[in-house]
Amino acid sequence: MTEREEYSIPEGFYYTKDHEWVRRKTGESDVVLVGITDYAAKMLHDIVYVTLPQEGQILSQKEVLGQVESVKTVADVYMPVSGSILKTNQELTLKPELISESPYESGWMVEVKASNLDNELKSLLSRNQYSEYVNQLKASEEEA
Amino acid sequence: MPKKTHLYRFHKEEGGKLIEFSGFEMPLWYKGIVEEHGAVRNSVGIFDVSHMGRLLIEGRDATKFLDFILPTNVEKMKDSRAFYSAICNERGGIIDDSVTNRFSSSKYMMVVNAANIEKDLRWLESHASGFEVSISNSSENSALIAIQGPLARATLQKICDVDLGSMKRFAFSTAKVAGVECIVSRTGYTGEDGFEITVLDTPLDSPAKAERVWESLLEAGKEYSIQPCGLGARDLLRLEAGMCLYGQDLNDDITPIEASLSSIVSQEKSVEYVGRKVIDEQIRNGTSRIRVGFVMTEDGIPRHEFDVVLGGVKVGVVTSGSFSPILKKGIGMAYVPRALSEIGQKFMIKIRNLEREAQVTRMPFYDTSKYGITRKTSSST
Repeated sequence: MTEREEYSIPEGFYYTKDHEWVRRKTGESDVVLVGITDYAAKMLHDIVYVTLPQEGQILSQKEVLGQVESVKTVADVYMPVSGSILKTNQELTLKPELISESPYESGWMVEVKASNLDNELKSLLSRNQYSEYVNQLKASEEEA
Repeated sequence: MPKKTHLYRFHKEEGGKLIEFSGFEMPLWYKGIVEEHGAVRNSVGIFDVSHMGRLLIEGRDATKFLDFILPTNVEKMKDSRAFYSAICNERGGIIDDSVTNRFSSSKYMMVVNAANIEKDLRWLESHASGFEVSISNSSENSALIAIQGPLARATLQKICDVDLGSMKRFAFSTAKVAGVECIVSRTGYTGEDGFEITVLDTPLDSPAKAERVWESLLEAGKEYSIQPCGLGARDLLRLEAGMCLYGQDLNDDITPIEASLSSIVSQEKSVEYVGRKVIDEQIRNGTSRIRVGFVMTEDGIPRHEFDVVLGGVKVGVVTSGSFSPILKKGIGMAYVPRALSEIGQKFMIKIRNLEREAQVTRMPFYDTSKYGITRKTSSST
């Protein structure tokens, strides 16, 4: 690659090894937004279709909440925390590319009323931990 | 260790994502599949297809031999013309699909799928007894570059010493491209006008000539925003054009009749060829399944091996599927019962746990007055 790709990994988010992020909604204790990371979006590339869950659906941590599809591949997206789906980002059905353009803001996928938030957040990665994890992935990819 | 083509250095430096494909390390994309696809549909793109096999069939009986191997009427083909065909087994199943270049009645070059080179060679050699013919693999002594799109001709003409305007589709000629000795044929696998350039006499360990042609094409196409394109764009372009990919849409158990490729089968041909019994029988009586193109009329993207369902029962299988940036819809190819193969027929595609409606459509999938070789409007840039 001509230029080293940089991935945005903002503070104030929790991350998973499957490349989802969680962020507490401002002013609410147990409502979170969920999406996929900049790294995941760049790996998928050319995102053309997003499948979202039904609002009201109750899903546990690590259950599949939907899919993000590029021209070539389908990636499952997993619930980073347990809870019920309050809202889905309907804008993504018309503009799936929002996930690549703005993975942490307008590319959010679902809003979740979390049922066991404080406990489950402990199982997730901090910004630094996720950043280190992504660097490891990049290193092993370059070796291969 | 995956193999590398002559242009590996470029791919490594410029490729956004490299993958292993048929034993070769190849670019899936450089800038992105959708962008590269758009370049070929609207302007011009180039592809390294040097991984494909080039098999030479030479000798006094070369024509007779190929007439025994292929369902096409090879004897009738003109010199300096290429034709699409398929090598079939005794059951009529497709061993490989290929484009064969006829230099003369005693010299042909078959361009075959990378994954099938060894299989094809074994098959050809084991069927050559009694024919005065020699079969050799010339893949590594040349490179193969495709330039495709409505502005492919304008781009290539700048650096090519033969008149491309008078070259008919499927014709080929020796030519100098950027001063390098090549074979230029007006062929491709994208549905668009374009050329395939065999860069001669450039072994893998001295790729300079191949690099020179590749870089000269990029330079010549700069004013048209030419893009190097990876295998991802190539796969999407061929799917939109309704063309088959071996290993997905074609295999050893699928005949040309089932694959809706009856145009490669000559019925007037007087000689026996391998698979003829089955193929003739299928022409007379039809086959129970047939390849169709379909477009999603509901949300969802069909993928390889998804089920085709009707009334809750599996009736067929998707062999290729993707999202078409032109149609902004899911499109695919499937094998379905003949009774469900009429244009307009509806069935369901099982996408994970949901059934989504699809409709059989003509291929190419795009509007042929706007895209592809029959487009009426030449692209303005």
